Amino acid sequence: MLLIKLFMLSAFFISLHTLGVIILVFTNLMVCLLIFMLIYMYFRAKREKNQTNYKLISDLLVRKAVFYDGLMLPETLIPVTKRVKKLIDNKDFRNRLTDELVLAKKNITGTSAENIKHLYQQLNLEKYALQLLKSRYWHIKAKAIQELSLMELKEYEFELYPFANNKNELVRMEAQVALVQFNGFEGLLFLDDITYSVSEWQQIKLLQKLSNLPPLLISVDKWLRSSNTSVVIFALKLVRSYHRFELHDAVLQCLDHPDPIVRLQAINCFSEIYTDETSIHLISRFWREGLKHQLAIIKALQNIGSENDNPFLLTLLHNDNYEMKLFAARAIARSGKKGLASLNDYGTYDNKLNDIIIQVKGELAA
Amino acid sequence: MNWQTIVFDGFTYIMVLYAFSLISFYVCVGIFSVGETRNYIRKNSFTDYRMLASATDAPSITVLAPAHNEGLTIIENVRSLLSLNYINIEVIVINDGSTDDSLEKLIKAYDLYKTDYFINEQIPTQAVLGVYKSRNLVYRKLIVVDKVKGGKADALNVGINISHHDYLVTIDVDCVLEQDAILKLAKPFLEQADKRVIAAGGVLRIANSCEVEGGRLVKIYLPEQFLPRIQTLEYIRAFLLSRMAWTRLNGLLLISGAFGSFDKEIVIKCGGYNNKTVGEDMELLVRMRRYMEEQKEPYKVSFIPDPLCWTEAPATYKTLGIQRNRWTRGTIETLQNHKKMFFNPKYHILGLVSYPYWAFFEFGGPIIETLGYFMFIVFCVVGMVNWSVFFIMMSIFSIGVLYSLFAILMEILTYNQYKQKRDLLRLALVAIAEPFVFHPFVVFSAIKGNFDFLRKRHNWGNMTRQGFTHRRLKTKS
Repeated sequence: MLLIKLFMLSAFFISLHTLGVIILVFTNLMVCLLIFMLIYMYFRAKREKNQTNYKLISDLLVRKAVFYDGLMLPETLIPVTKRVKKLIDNKDFRNRLTDELVLAKKNITGTSAENIKHLYQQLNLEKYALQLLKSRYWHIKAKAIQELSLMELKEYEFELYPFANNKNELVRMEAQVALVQFNGFEGLLFLDDITYSVSEWQQIKLLQKLSNLPPLLISVDKWLRSSNTSVVIFALKLVRSYHRFELHDAVLQCLDHPDPIVRLQAINCFSEIYTDETSIHLISRFWREGLKHQLAIIKALQNIGSENDNPFLLTLLHNDNYEMKLFAARAIARSGKKGLASLNDYGTYDNKLNDIIIQVKGELAA
Repeated sequence: MNWQTIVFDGFTYIMVLYAFSLISFYVCVGIFSVGETRNYIRKNSFTDYRMLASATDAPSITVLAPAHNEGLTIIENVRSLLSLNYINIEVIVINDGSTDDSLEKLIKAYDLYKTDYFINEQIPTQAVLGVYKSRNLVYRKLIVVDKVKGGKADALNVGINISHHDYLVTIDVDCVLEQDAILKLAKPFLEQADKRVIAAGGVLRIANSCEVEGGRLVKIYLPEQFLPRIQTLEYIRAFLLSRMAWTRLNGLLLISGAFGSFDKEIVIKCGGYNNKTVGEDMELLVRMRRYMEEQKEPYKVSFIPDPLCWTEAPATYKTLGIQRNRWTRGTIETLQNHKKMFFNPKYHILGLVSYPYWAFFEFGGPIIETLGYFMFIVFCVVGMVNWSVFFIMMSIFSIGVLYSLFAILMEILTYNQYKQKRDLLRLALVAIAEPFVFHPFVVFSAIKGNFDFLRKRHNWGNMTRQGFTHRRLKTKS
């Protein structure tokens, strides 16, 4: 018995040794982590101090360029101090200065923006951007493309074109924006070759970029027939935004597209480009579609429909879906005085439908 | 071998296996979260949110803010929601049977009138007493709904029925949002071309001791009180590490009801919020994911690590206990409702990894831990303790502390909200104290939650809050 107790006691002490080792290992790890954090914070504070200094110098330089009123010929040089010339070799300073120049270029236009570009080239910063294009990291590559794009360095267009179909989404997006920045609507030609999807986010970016440019009649119909669904959707957005009435029939074909998102976009497109016959085409496809598309069709009819569509819309008031009833009542009421009158005459035992009609009338009165 | 030895050995091996699995998860979470957060930050540096703020093609969003007896702060909070930076937005405040003067205050402050409004009841709810809109065009985005009390889930369902827009953002009306919060939450829905983003969540941060003015966060401070401070660390760990890691795996099961966005079409197809659970936020997301899996549609749930929403953490053990008790019951209810997915390969990562993780570690963790303590006492009494195994098991606490320190490191490397060295050291101290002070209480509350679940208690519990206004005055004086 004593032997067993002794054995247990020794096991306990061996375990205490194990505990000691475990505690030691983990305490060391914790202390290392804490020390690393403190060292990191120290160096970051130091770096931030340097960055503040660099930002001050960069701001001064940017301000000098913005307000420079000398004749801006290619050979003209904006005065730059020796210190800045020396600091350009410092990567941190160069990055900070580039960021400040890019930010300023983004927010200003006219001669001042030209001066910024001039200073960027004078300091030979595009040389570094071109080097970064070869980086193996996508975010560095994308940043370099963004830089060249915002500086409007069209001469590098051919270097950037292949990136428009890069496998990395961000690189691809920045390259596509750059091409539009350089060439306006004609920059969209990358849509001919693109094999990857153009995300909705990218479409918003491209449309935003184009909205600052005077509209140009480029050929959009080939994109409406693209095998890349996202290209078709983007083309429909272009047709809608720029009211390309001549493409009405091409958009009509998109109503039979196998992808439901394309069909939905085409229906929405008809709110902006339509003829007297558009509503007939939409109504003829109505029962083939699901609820979401059906509601989109009724919504389009609110904008483009006439009193001729009311017999069809009145049948929808008997549908089981109340959202459809609401949309139909709205479309009828907006079709004209006769439409509103037909709603007034519409006696119903359905309390909910009565509520819908009251709401629609209230909306019209507001 | 006698039966005692078999029980003892069996129990010991199960515990060691459990501990090993838990540590493996910690390591994986650490690795995945680093990758996901780094990717997000790099991508985000290319985003110009001003562009989305003015884009007419931006997704249309309805903000749903359920409120029950929030009369003290509701005017200021609604004003904060109306000033959010987004073009295509409507704000629906749902007064869920408040017994105070919330509605009267709203009517007066925003010049509201009762409208004839048809409500398409796609999701069944308690009766709506009235829908109010403002006569003032400045507040045209605002809709206030007055309804019979039915709980948070029911209030949210009313909001969904009334919403006109394609996406829903749910928020707790007492939270403080960053100005660009909606812009950041909207972006994930636009990014994916090959998968449908069904929901996106944002990080919650603790606002105790922060300065809040006019519904906006003015200055960030580490909470002065111990409990909120320890929860600050807990939230950093949960949001910056755990949720980011699950996002990388596309296995996230929880988006906080205090701040999350959802695809309305899918929410309605799934039947909206379940008002029979106290964990309605988790239950909805699990149901949405299950629906997408069953439809065989490719989908994604996104998560944004930016600190976008600031909330008040419980400052007393009583409130904290109520909160954790409710969280436990919510988890059990969700797991119970969707037990079909447990290790079901038909649900892919959802059935094979996410659900089992929640079942074994989030739900099972406190139970196993308590059982461990109990068995340890029993083994001590009968003199069968294997001290080596015991001490190895105790090392999990050290790993927990290391994991917390790693979370602090991630915070420093990424968003660094608490910039002073003093704050870092205070957080580190909290990390060391947590396993001994905070963790046992959380385990105790979870066990209590299990018992309350068995006793079929479904109430939310009364969460008393201090309120931002009070604290701001205190800070300024």
